[in-house]
Amino acid sequence: MNVKAIIMKKFTTIAFALFACAFLTSCGVKKEGLVIMTDQSYKATMFATNKIGIGSPDGLLWHKGKLYFADEGGVALESWNRNEGLKKLVDAGFGFQSPEDLVIDAQDNIFFTDDDAGGLWELSAGGQPRKVAGSDKGLISTEGIALAPDGALLVGDGEQHKVFRVTREGQVSDFLGTEYGITKPESMVFDDRGNLYIADNEDNVLYLLDANRKLHRIIDRKDSFSPETIYFARGSLYITDSHNGKLYVYTPGEELKTIAAFGGQLKNVQGVTVDDAGNIFVSVQADLKRKVGDVIEISREGTEVAQR
Amino acid sequence: MIGTVIISLMVASLSGWFSQLNDQLLLGINSIAGRWWLFDSIVGFFLNNDLAKAGVIGGCFLAAWYGGKSIESTSARRKILITTLVAAVFVITTTKVLSKAIFLPRPEIQTQKIYRLEDDQLVEMKRMPVRTMLDDDSQKDHRALLSGDIDSNDLGSFPSDHAGFFIAISLGIFLASRRLGLLALGWSILVILGGKLISGQHTPLDIAAGATVAIAELALIQYVVRKGFRGWLDNLTGLTLRYSALSSAIVFLIAFEMSSTMIHIRAFLGFLSVMRRHVLLGMGS
Repeated sequence: MNVKAIIMKKFTTIAFALFACAFLTSCGVKKEGLVIMTDQSYKATMFATNKIGIGSPDGLLWHKGKLYFADEGGVALESWNRNEGLKKLVDAGFGFQSPEDLVIDAQDNIFFTDDDAGGLWELSAGGQPRKVAGSDKGLISTEGIALAPDGALLVGDGEQHKVFRVTREGQVSDFLGTEYGITKPESMVFDDRGNLYIADNEDNVLYLLDANRKLHRIIDRKDSFSPETIYFARGSLYITDSHNGKLYVYTPGEELKTIAAFGGQLKNVQGVTVDDAGNIFVSVQADLKRKVGDVIEISREGTEVAQR
Repeated sequence: MIGTVIISLMVASLSGWFSQLNDQLLLGINSIAGRWWLFDSIVGFFLNNDLAKAGVIGGCFLAAWYGGKSIESTSARRKILITTLVAAVFVITTTKVLSKAIFLPRPEIQTQKIYRLEDDQLVEMKRMPVRTMLDDDSQKDHRALLSGDIDSNDLGSFPSDHAGFFIAISLGIFLASRRLGLLALGWSILVILGGKLISGQHTPLDIAAGATVAIAELALIQYVVRKGFRGWLDNLTGLTLRYSALSSAIVFLIAFEMSSTMIHIRAFLGFLSVMRRHVLLGMGS
């Protein structure tokens, strides 16, 4: 037997062994997911899947009876309500690439960020899309967004480690510079007292900027906490953690409390919002590249599940 | 068509029966937990202390490695043990991959309210009335569970990687030396895996699945290595005899890692992964 034949025989044996082990490893396995309710007073329900037409949403916002999606996987801004179902409001044809987070003002104008194309984008109440300020004005990779009491928009930039103030006319200025030490302002929200909460999911810190512009590290537990999206409702801050697959609630003066832990296909929890009845909606990016995502509703036991 | 329906019904009924049996067995074994602090502390000690848990297995492995009465028998034992180590690596990989893909939480986690994804719906799982052991570590873990601190490793209990790893190694030792193998197998089943059942960390099905993977892969690797790599195995075994000091050092390291369920190697691989991300891909601060 020549050398080539011996090598071929060895390769065949190795291939057989690897195939057999791979078979033992993968036969009958399918991806699964779990939601573990740490707070037993809540229940979990699948609110929306790809079947209703969403892609893989990131930011979520409940506003005046409608649920709005910054659909990162589907590259679109969408809304859903019981009567109209899912409605695409604006899509990638307008120029954005990865809708990240969104806010809506009192006049129903929608503003959203884009961590790939950068910039601040608007869809007016009348349905007119426009780029308020783009990467040419320094908004390179926009993440968190918050509506300031004076009507301006605060936009976090993960590349420049800053929070910018953007006026409706598109003027951009520094709101929190690099000297504040925030690495990635992934999500931001004002509470009912005018304090600004900032989630940094790079340094894994939740900050609070008080009315005197003093920055406090509210939660700093690098090993087990990484705030992805924050949403303030009813005196509490709801926090998703995509690294650890958790949904928390934080009430000032109290301990951080886990509501639910997510595992498997449902681990990558992203956006969070709360409706008027106190039901919590969490978006899950099961597979962003393949545009697979879900929205899970976490509601109190005994309450009616919202209609899909 | 009718045949398919009948077979499906039989399979469903059989799997339901197995599941019920599995639960009953687990709850029966677990029923001795949470009653006596001393008993729970002893079980907890053997579960948490690497030396107490796996030192016996490492010791049996070393004894089998050096215990041959002649050069030929030592050589034959070492061939089996080297192949066993290769098989153990495959077994641990298989059980880890499977447990990451099949999300079946540990029974102690199933005391909580859990929803499982089934056909795009979240379905509430049946709760397991598992008793918690009274030792300090178990109580601490239980308090952490109640406050939502759940280790991702606790979400994939099927199959048991402990069962896979220790059964593979113990069976390998058994193939090399019957007496030492019986000791290793007995220790693995009664102390290591028994403790896992009593504490509610695994169900009998998790353990059986881990053991099945171990037996299947050990048999397969032994067959493949003997058929296709006999020459390499002979050479490697010859080297362990020729360079006995060096091979002793390596075997000590292997036995040491075996006794600690390879946590240091896993930590080292994790370190390499972080280094790769930070240095090669330039991610992170």
